[in-house]
Amino acid sequence: MRLSPWRKTSIAILSVAILNMGLAGAAQAAIVDTSALVTTSREADLGTVRAQLDRAEVRAKFEDMGVDATAVERRVASLNDRELHKLAVDMQNAPAGGDAVWIIGAVFIVLIILELTGVIDIFKKT
Amino acid sequence: MQKRAAAKAARFAFFLALTSLLSACVVRGPFIPANLAPGARPSVELDATPFFPQKKYQCGPAALASVLAASDVVTTPDALVPVVYIPARKGSLQVEMQAAPRKFGRLSYLLSPNMDSILAEINAGRPVLVLHNYGFPMMPRWHYAVVIGYDSARDRFILRSGTKQRDEWRVRTFMVAWHQAHRWAMVVLRPGEIPVIADARLYLEAAADFEHGATPEDALLAFDAAVKRWPTEAVAWIGRGTAQYRAGNLSAAAFDYAAAVRIDGSNAGARNNLAQTLLEQGCPRHAREQLMSIDVGKLQSPLLEAVNDTRQQVDAAVAQTADDNPACAIPVSGS
Repeated sequence: MRLSPWRKTSIAILSVAILNMGLAGAAQAAIVDTSALVTTSREADLGTVRAQLDRAEVRAKFEDMGVDATAVERRVASLNDRELHKLAVDMQNAPAGGDAVWIIGAVFIVLIILELTGVIDIFKKT
Repeated sequence: MQKRAAAKAARFAFFLALTSLLSACVVRGPFIPANLAPGARPSVELDATPFFPQKKYQCGPAALASVLAASDVVTTPDALVPVVYIPARKGSLQVEMQAAPRKFGRLSYLLSPNMDSILAEINAGRPVLVLHNYGFPMMPRWHYAVVIGYDSARDRFILRSGTKQRDEWRVRTFMVAWHQAHRWAMVVLRPGEIPVIADARLYLEAAADFEHGATPEDALLAFDAAVKRWPTEAVAWIGRGTAQYRAGNLSAAAFDYAAAVRIDGSNAGARNNLAQTLLEQGCPRHAREQLMSIDVGKLQSPLLEAVNDTRQQVDAAVAQTADDNPACAIPVSGS
C-alpha cells in the first residue's frame, strides 16, 4: 500500500495521540457508552486507528471542498465513527442535495412514463 | 399482400401491448388511502411548518431549518450553511443532514423506506425531510424537500420545496423522485418522541448517538421513551441507566442496569455499568459479583478496557473496606 505524505504524517501523529488517549481514559469512570453496546446492526468495531484516519481524511476533504476553515473542526467533531467512515469513503460521489431546477426534466418525465406504464414498479414495498 | 398482413398484425400487437400497459396503470391507485393507517386523518397539512426559501444550491440548509424549526429549534438556513453545506459539491450530504439535529438537542431518525411511514409521521404532526432525485441514476439531480401534508381524496403530497412554500405533488411523481433517491426520509425528534413506525434497534442507535452531546436530562427522556415502548430491549434500560448515572441518580441507575441484566444476562456492558454504579454506592462486593459473571474472553475494545478498569477499582475497594454498605440490597441478582 502506498501512503500519501499527509496520511503518513497523520499516522505518526495519531500513534502518539492514541498513546495519550490511553492515559487520559484511565482516569474516567468506567461506564460504557450506550453507543458501544448497540453494535449488532452496525459494522463490527471499526478500530481506533481507522476512526482516526477517517477523521483526518474527512477533515482534509472538507478543506479541499471549500468548507470554511473555522467550521471544519466542528463538523468533523459532530460525526460518529460510522458517519466519518461513510464520508471518508464516498464524500466525492455521495448524493448531495442542492437545487430543484429541472435541468434534465425530460429524463425524469421518461421515468414517470415508464412507471405509469408499469415497466418499472416503484409501489411494491421494499 | 403478405407484407400488409404482417404489418397489420404488428400494429395489432402494438395496440394490444399499449392497452394492456395502460390498463395496468389504471388498476393501481389511489395510493395514499392504501397506505394510511386505520384511524388516520384522510388529509393533513402541517401548515405551521416554517418555510425558508432556498438560496442557490442550498436546499439542504433550507429544508433542515424547516424541520428543525418545526420541532421548536430556533435557527435559519444561513446559520445551517456552515453546518451542512459543501461548496464544491454544491449541496449537502445525507450523513451530515442526519448528524445535524444532534447539535440542537434533537434526535434524527431515518424512516423505513415506505410511504406508510411518511404518512404516519405527518398524521402524528411531524414534517418529514425527504431526498428526491429528478435525474437518472447516471445523471442524478438531488434535492431535499419537506413533506408537510397529504390529501388522500386527491392522492397528493404537499411539500415545502426549494423556493415554493406550498408545492403539491401527485403521489406517483413524488414516489418516482423519492424512489430514485433510495427512499431516504428523515424526521427530527424532540427527546422523548419516537416515530409512529419505528424499529427498536434503529431508534436505540439514534438515541445512543444523541447521548454523546446531550444533557443527562435529554438523554433520560430519549431512553425513558424507549424503555416504555420496548420494555424487553436491554439497551433501552442501559441507556436510561446511564442517563440516570450521569444525572447523579445512582440508585435509579442501578435499578435500570439490573433490569437490563435480567433481560440479557450475557450483556457485559450492563453488568460493567451496574458494577461501576454499585462501587460508587459503597457496594464493591456486589459489584465484584457482577464482574465475575462477565465472560471476559469474548470482549472487545472498548468494552474490554472498561471492564478491566472497573475490576481494578472494585478490587482496590474490596481490599480497603471491611464490608459492603448495609443498604446494598438492591435488585442485583440478575441473570
